[in-house]
Amino acid sequence: MKKELKLTVNGQPYELYVKPKTLLVQVLRDHIGLTGTKRGCSDSSCGACTIMLNGMAVKSCSILALQANGAEVHTVEGLAKGTELHPLQKAFLDYGAYQCGFCTSGMLMASRALLEENPKPTKEQIKEGIDGNICRCTGYNSIIRAVTAVVKGEYKEEK
Amino acid sequence: MSYHCPVCNKVSSSAYDLARHMIGRGDKVHRDWVNSKGFKFSELLALQFKSFGGEGYKALAEVLEKETKVED
Amino acid sequence: MSKYSVIGQRVRRVDGPEKVTGNAKYTFDIVLPNMLYGKILRSPHPHARILNIDTSKAEKLIGVKGVVTGKDTLGKKQGIWRRFPELCDEEILCREKVRYVGDPVAVVAAVDEDTAEEALDLIDVEYEPLPAVFDPLEAIKEDAPQIHDGVELNINVTRHIEWGDVDEAFKKCDRIREDQFKCSSQAHMCMETHDAVASFDYSGKLTVWTSTQASYYIQALLAGMLGLREGDVRVIKPPTGGGFGSKFELDSAQFCASVLSMKICKPVKIVLSREEEFTATKRRTPMYYYLKLGAKKDGTLLAKEVRVITDGGAYTGMGATALYLTGFFSSFPYKYPNYRYDGYRAYTNTAPTSAMRGFGAPQSTFAGESQLDMMAEELGIDPVEIRRKNGMTPDYVVPGQAFIQSCGLHECLDKIEEHIKQRRKLPPNHGIGIAAYGFMSGGIFNWFDTPYAFSAALVRINIDGKVDLFTGACDIGQGSDTTLSMICAEELGVKLEDIRIHAGDTGICPADLGAWGSRETLMNGNAVKRAAADAKNQLLEFAAAKLGANIVYDMDIKDRWIHLVDRPERGVSYFDIVKEAIRGKDGEVIIGRGHYTPHRKGMISPAYSFGVQAAEVGVDTETGKVKLVNVTTAHESGTVINPVGIEGQLEGAIMMAGGYGFCEDQPMDEGKILNPSIADYKLIRSLDMPETKILEIDTYEPEGPFGAKEAGEGLTNPTAGAIANAVYKAVGVRINNLPITPEKVLRALKEKPKQKK
Repeated sequence: MKKELKLTVNGQPYELYVKPKTLLVQVLRDHIGLTGTKRGCSDSSCGACTIMLNGMAVKSCSILALQANGAEVHTVEGLAKGTELHPLQKAFLDYGAYQCGFCTSGMLMASRALLEENPKPTKEQIKEGIDGNICRCTGYNSIIRAVTAVVKGEYKEEK
Repeated sequence: MSYHCPVCNKVSSSAYDLARHMIGRGDKVHRDWVNSKGFKFSELLALQFKSFGGEGYKALAEVLEKETKVED
Repeated sequence: MSKYSVIGQRVRRVDGPEKVTGNAKYTFDIVLPNMLYGKILRSPHPHARILNIDTSKAEKLIGVKGVVTGKDTLGKKQGIWRRFPELCDEEILCREKVRYVGDPVAVVAAVDEDTAEEALDLIDVEYEPLPAVFDPLEAIKEDAPQIHDGVELNINVTRHIEWGDVDEAFKKCDRIREDQFKCSSQAHMCMETHDAVASFDYSGKLTVWTSTQASYYIQALLAGMLGLREGDVRVIKPPTGGGFGSKFELDSAQFCASVLSMKICKPVKIVLSREEEFTATKRRTPMYYYLKLGAKKDGTLLAKEVRVITDGGAYTGMGATALYLTGFFSSFPYKYPNYRYDGYRAYTNTAPTSAMRGFGAPQSTFAGESQLDMMAEELGIDPVEIRRKNGMTPDYVVPGQAFIQSCGLHECLDKIEEHIKQRRKLPPNHGIGIAAYGFMSGGIFNWFDTPYAFSAALVRINIDGKVDLFTGACDIGQGSDTTLSMICAEELGVKLEDIRIHAGDTGICPADLGAWGSRETLMNGNAVKRAAADAKNQLLEFAAAKLGANIVYDMDIKDRWIHLVDRPERGVSYFDIVKEAIRGKDGEVIIGRGHYTPHRKGMISPAYSFGVQAAEVGVDTETGKVKLVNVTTAHESGTVINPVGIEGQLEGAIMMAGGYGFCEDQPMDEGKILNPSIADYKLIRSLDMPETKILEIDTYEPEGPFGAKEAGEGLTNPTAGAIANAVYKAVGVRINNLPITPEKVLRALKEKPKQKK
């Protein structure tokens, strides 16, 4: 028995009908077609599915889609404004903060959530902010350098 | 003095080295020859990982000393 | 000022924009019209005969479109060691027997994943469980159950390497040490699990999109298993979420999706769950290591004897290579006048063991470097000094095995020695341990029996000067797309943004053996460089006429400027010549061809990279927990083509190799892996990652493109050994079996004699 789901994703409103056990990540990837958010596990441990839900970093595989009814969701696809990349994206490019790229969407969203809550985190706080995200390729330090560069103002957004 | 492998004719300079070769080859024909002399091949092989004295090689080498030596 | 325009620069990766915007479409993301979803039914028994499989109920479930078992296949066995039929022992979809918990027996395609899962529960398999064996030392006993027909004592492969006379040499030694080590398994844990979308069409052609390290191998193996022409199988590699050695053999997702698609003529997608990834894909080879080392009292190493038995798991895979390489790298990076290695691989009823980053060298380095430190302590010699005394040097010949050209090991030792001196006095229970390594840049063997060159590339210059680079090399995250584009741009004399790379599509790219053994930069790099040079020469022929040069070799291209080498101001724009060259050839675009296959007798690899790593740990004596504080690596990889890439490879290697050293483990009970989930598989997360420092030593490798050689795998070798040595320096206990867990440290601390040395 499908139920109605209304939510905003990257500023766009959506109205869908979903089965009660559908996860939010499935709605984003399979129903709406935003495949930037990935899945790497079945027990909410890897962080590849991290998005922002009402301003907080959330693993989208750990909540049912219907629990996000009426919510504002942001995914990696919403970071760039047209062709202008978000400062975090530019920093990731310059600092080589990704290799295979599968964890990258989750890392970007976790970092964005961290900076929106705390614009001047210490290195330790950045490490904590991405501790829920596993990366098998980079060893994390390049990601930390990229986020630190944004914190230091290397990529001041144009007004 | 040299020692010729009774199975594949490889030449070794000592019976001990020939024993190593035979246990090392591990294929059926070498194993069958070793077993025909009253040994259990798998035990000789397992000994290689349980001790460092090379006891497995020593026992086989004694037999090879008698049977495969060739005076040059 | 660098003499190079492109290589050596810090650049953004060419696949960057797609990856940071979420636009990169991995196999995981591919959706095709009419696509079905497949799920695999796997054996719950470690060893059993299959008596009967009844799929009738599953076939009737609404939404199920096809069910396949081993009986629906051609019944062939495959293996990556194609030249040796006795090592091609894997059917994938089992027909008569299952040999490990997770061995596939049936596969279902349905309209969605949930229906496919439900259908699996409706398949009735009647098994006759057989006695099983889980340890290689048990498996070689006379009364152990035989896992493969005709393979007595379950001895799958043996390998031997020898030079000199170790027995005579031991008699001349002042000190001899005998030590045993146990090296554990490890999961690759790629963020993207194994997956494939297979589409068989009515014209009899199969297209497979898959996360892979070697699209050429998958094409060839699939064609063989399915009875198709190689040319009718096209394997396409989309952006791939990691490989680390797990994705260059034919796997169950690729094979089962293809078999299903051929039966129903619709696209089928199979994505392995994380649990399947842990339990039913290949893993690092566990090894029992027995080492005997002999030295003179001044620290000169005279002889080393190595005996290894590896746990092969249920099938061969690349286990034969891991067996050989672990014995080969046990002699690295030192000059042993006498050496002997005897290696044996035994089948067991566990998930098959195969290749993982390092390929047997992390194991040999852990054992060898631990023992060397113990020998150094016995002799009263400094650990750096004993390595210096015996370390390999440029142009060294490993008797009958390898010829080493460039080697910066001694410079690395100097840098690490400096680094250790600079570290402030360490707090209590902290220690720094070192480990040295050497690793190959791809291997020279042709066990796949390929008639192709090991690497080949095509460069096509279009009318607007944009260059299409076609290569079979597979970028799995290590950055080969970027590195090869840089090599192409440098050789051709254009900018990086002029290159557009097409890689890993067997339908359009020349064959390449894939991303394993750290071969892409050197082998494919050489092919790309030669192809670019070929295209460049064709342009220079036209430019020579225009500029009145004596011969073509008097000219070169740099920064899009074709000029006389001696008078660079005399030149012409690259773009103008491209147009003229194409006009001059009746509109034919310029195509350059290049290929590379290493040829040298007695050589394992065209080139070797070396390094020394120092790991600083802190040990909590209450809990036994080891904390990695700092890992500093001095290494040399020839000319650095892509500096951002190399740094990434080094830091990533520390995460993986450090995990191998102290936390990653797959405990088993009766062949069943007990922790098949990320929550339970301990690995290094951001908070556990140490400070990392890279000390780059400058060397030049004549065999490599612009002097480059490997970096990605060698750097995975030393960390476990360095950690073991550091723990000893910190708290005085020696742990000889991996991983170095808190339990083992605590137990060792308790057993340590009360009196401190």
